[in-house]
Amino acid sequence: MEIITAILSLSFLAQMLRLMTPFYLGASAANFSERGGVINISIEGFMNLSAFSFALFSIITHNVTAGFFISILINIIFSILFAFFTVKLKINQIVTGVGFNLLIAGITKFLLVLIFNSSSNTERFEGLPDFTLLQSIPFVGSIFSDYITIFCFALIFISGFILFRTKFGLRLRSAGENPGAAESLGIKVRLYKLYGIMISGFLSALAGIWLASNQNSYSDGMIAGRGYIALAAMIIGKWKPVNIFFACLLFSAFEALEITLQISGTDLPSQLIQMLPYLITVLVLIGFIGKTKPPAADGIPY
Amino acid sequence: MSRKAKINLISISLSLAATLIIITLLLLLINKNPIEIFSIIFSEVFASGYGIGQTLFKATPLIICGCGLAICFHASLFNIGAEGQLNAGSFVIAIIALQIQDLPFPLILLICIVCGFVISGVFGLIPAYIKVKKDVSEVITTIMLNFIILALINYFLVDFFAVKSTMRTQELNDNNMLFKLSEFIPFFKGSSLNASFILAIIISVISYVFIYKTKFGYRIRAIGFNETASKYIGLKTNKIILISFFTGAGITSLVGINFIFGYKGFYEAGFSNNIGFTAIAVALLAKNNPLGIIFSALLFAILDYGGLSINQLVPKEIMLVVQGIIILSILSIDKLVTQYFERRGAV
Repeated sequence: MEIITAILSLSFLAQMLRLMTPFYLGASAANFSERGGVINISIEGFMNLSAFSFALFSIITHNVTAGFFISILINIIFSILFAFFTVKLKINQIVTGVGFNLLIAGITKFLLVLIFNSSSNTERFEGLPDFTLLQSIPFVGSIFSDYITIFCFALIFISGFILFRTKFGLRLRSAGENPGAAESLGIKVRLYKLYGIMISGFLSALAGIWLASNQNSYSDGMIAGRGYIALAAMIIGKWKPVNIFFACLLFSAFEALEITLQISGTDLPSQLIQMLPYLITVLVLIGFIGKTKPPAADGIPY
Repeated sequence: MSRKAKINLISISLSLAATLIIITLLLLLINKNPIEIFSIIFSEVFASGYGIGQTLFKATPLIICGCGLAICFHASLFNIGAEGQLNAGSFVIAIIALQIQDLPFPLILLICIVCGFVISGVFGLIPAYIKVKKDVSEVITTIMLNFIILALINYFLVDFFAVKSTMRTQELNDNNMLFKLSEFIPFFKGSSLNASFILAIIISVISYVFIYKTKFGYRIRAIGFNETASKYIGLKTNKIILISFFTGAGITSLVGINFIFGYKGFYEAGFSNNIGFTAIAVALLAKNNPLGIIFSALLFAILDYGGLSINQLVPKEIMLVVQGIIILSILSIDKLVTQYFERRGAV
């Protein structure tokens, strides 16, 4: 009974909306890449990289703003490298993604031990400054308490606008749907694929930064599959910004539920709840909840 | 040597050389002496029978899992789910072995191998079935299944099978363990190298014959090369995809034989330590050739075991970086070399 009241409370809703931030940023990151026709399964790795570099440079420079921008820069450099592999060399995107995930996991583990002398986590640091303007408003203030979350909510509209209302979005999508036709109209398809991947790097950087900033440290394995859940959310959301938002909301509800259950100490098995996002995704893919269709030339090198 | 084999050899050697250069630079960057590091690794791994034994022991699961993946990869099926598949099989192997401890050992082993193979294979069949029936990419389903399987195992382990306050099953009797190779070859004294290594070599040879010397293997490769064309010449592509995914995933379960019967005597959560992903790199480096996989697995095992020996000087995690660099350099250099030869009109 206590659990039901806990779930029905406003604080649960607020927590759910906040926890959605890394999912939605990650899913949008994956979406911008796939809209340009490049499958990016290393969202997990990119989030991991930015969480680590944000913590690292915030601690070294004693300046979170510097950490913030350096972290984004590093992610963009890596995404350009990813584009070099997948777009320029036309190497299989899945294998490249696996490779990047392994390499980034290696780099972060190695540097964690080398610099912080610990195989588990960095020292603590002050996270990004809070957004204080709305703090006094009870419910709203607890959701919109940091800049990245606010940006994330704005992104629902921004990404929809960019993808479907701008020339850039049209060209990006044409690169993902029919690159041959796009090229024949004079669109530099590969350049747009690169842009898509760079946006992907940028957004996943924000997701990683948010996680590290919220935890006030970086710890090994802290992304904990969120990058893959983000991919799942993108698929369930059928590559559409608003639908992806609802898919992310569903997944963050599970995470909030898991936390609530852990606090209340009930013996409902938390492993089974952890499993639900992935199970739902498979069921959706099988077609229990409507058909999903990726961009036509998704995953095909051009 | 055929042209293709020559190109493969060139690109593999070039990418290993590139990796070596990058690592040397990395070591210099963090102010370590590369020559000292390399010589420590070399002497630790090769100077003693124990070192060689441990390296072969660490190569065992990579060979097994790499071969399983190679079968999938030959059919152009991106099985990213080996981590989950091998855990499912291994977990079941441990559970069943405990129930039938009183049977004669060869029988226990046989039953466990079959059950493990079937369980892992079925978890490979699920994404394959979804692929052929619903035309959904196996990449996403295998990734999702990894999480589902590991969560399920965790649930069953914690709530039913684990020894209290641990994350492992009960231990098997001592007489139900595979023999250590050091019992026959004293050279390997003290190392954990066991009969599973022989099993791994056998799997590698069988996989090689299966892929390159049988009609079915030829069909698998035909589908990998061009699925549409294969369908037009009358191959039952769906059936072949299902069988190769089942077989490939099934083989990964045998990783559990090495750990459970050859090493610890129980299943432990997290025992696989990402073997399912590292094996992707192993198979990739060997160009999915099962015999080549023995060598690439050895290389990765040297990195793994060598990492332990230099831990005093450089964090052993540097070897994870090395593994990552190997994958990306083989991917890129292979492409560049192929393009170079294509431009020269040699292929």
